[in-house]
Amino acid sequence: MLTACASTEPAQDTSDYDPLEPVNRVVHGVNGAVDFMVLYPAAMWYRDIAPEPVKTSVASFVRNINEPLNSFNALLQGDPDQAAASFQRFIMNSTLGFLGFNDVASDFGIPYRREDFGQTLAHYGIGGGPYIVLPLLGPSNLRDTAGIGVDYVANPLTWGAQNSDTAEALYLGSVGLTALHYRYATINQLNELQKSSIDYYAALRSLYRQQRNQMIRNGGPSPEFAVEDESASFDFDDAVEAASK
Amino acid sequence: MVNSKIAISTAAMIAIAAAWSGPASATGLSSNVVAEVAVETSAANVIQSMADQAMNELTDQSLADDVRRKKFVSLMDRYFAMDVVSRFVLGRYWRSISEAEIEEFSVLLQNYLALNYANQFKEFNGEQFVVGDETQKNKDTFVDSQFVRPDGPPVNIVWRMRMFDDSYKIIDVSIEGLSMGITQRDEFTSVIQQNNDDVGALTAALKAKTGL
Repeated sequence: MLTACASTEPAQDTSDYDPLEPVNRVVHGVNGAVDFMVLYPAAMWYRDIAPEPVKTSVASFVRNINEPLNSFNALLQGDPDQAAASFQRFIMNSTLGFLGFNDVASDFGIPYRREDFGQTLAHYGIGGGPYIVLPLLGPSNLRDTAGIGVDYVANPLTWGAQNSDTAEALYLGSVGLTALHYRYATINQLNELQKSSIDYYAALRSLYRQQRNQMIRNGGPSPEFAVEDESASFDFDDAVEAASK
Repeated sequence: MVNSKIAISTAAMIAIAAAWSGPASATGLSSNVVAEVAVETSAANVIQSMADQAMNELTDQSLADDVRRKKFVSLMDRYFAMDVVSRFVLGRYWRSISEAEIEEFSVLLQNYLALNYANQFKEFNGEQFVVGDETQKNKDTFVDSQFVRPDGPPVNIVWRMRMFDDSYKIIDVSIEGLSMGITQRDEFTSVIQQNNDDVGALTAALKAKTGL
């Protein structure tokens, strides 16, 4: 819950909390229809037509435009090393990497890491709260929605967009490319999921929660944390006990 | 667990030493003996044999889809603790159905998973499966592995295993940190909830999907 008191342990949500489910399902349906008409065909076209180097450059650009926020949030999470790394990436890729279209920083051994304000709140122990399907943006929760708002305000590009036409064009272009890139990046998995699932909405809700948990603990492939351990209601130990009866 | 890990590393060291010293028969023999013991006790080895078997049996492109699915189901029978997995994905609802219904559900679940995953093996082309380290955490052993693709970054897969009657069985699989068991449980329990807590609705949906 957003009102929960802050602790030093990063928050990990272990079960879906969806009191707004009827409304969320309606928004989910509308999003699906809009996606089907606009973003999905664009992403399919992009997937099939755009050459690999273009896709790599776009992915780099989209990541780079987010670096000031990554740096800012890493700092807020008390991780000045990561904040410096993100800032360094931003400077290198924006100059040597030509406006971020080339990720030269990764070649220099500084890997990308995304940090947003939702993760910053979670870092201080604030759980996700109710699940929310945002219009156009899709799966979120109360904490991460607040995070999107803070990131929007904190983003230097959105200040710039208010004062300069060039910055505004860059901002709008980056929003468009970001949408295209992320839709393309998930298109195969989401197609599969939509085809195979019985309740697509519920599967997405679970995956969103797990993915955020993973980002909050900055989870690499370490097996120690890679698997979400227990559920609030029914975990693997319960299942083993059930099976042995 | 610590013991079996020592056994593995000892086996590995002896094997390396043996290989280094050429075909010295005495050391060679003892390394084989130790290695065989390790094969039975290590969770990572179980994953390796499953992967080998899957690569052998499922990637043949001339295989008919339903035959591939049947082979996939028998692989699951052998390597997964299906009685545990079936109950896990039903969440607390497992209590509300009979033993026979759980059995039926388990068969449906396997065929449903085969329907979703078996065909992935058909398109294998140059991919490699690399088994990594294993880590013990509470009652379970987590085996790290990577699916290395010729195009695109490798996919990290972690196998959650538990010892039942002296042999390791898989109880969950995580792909890039996303647990398939938890995702399936959250989806299935949602289907049941949406239908007034009736497990029959889920079973019916699975029947419709799998055509069983």
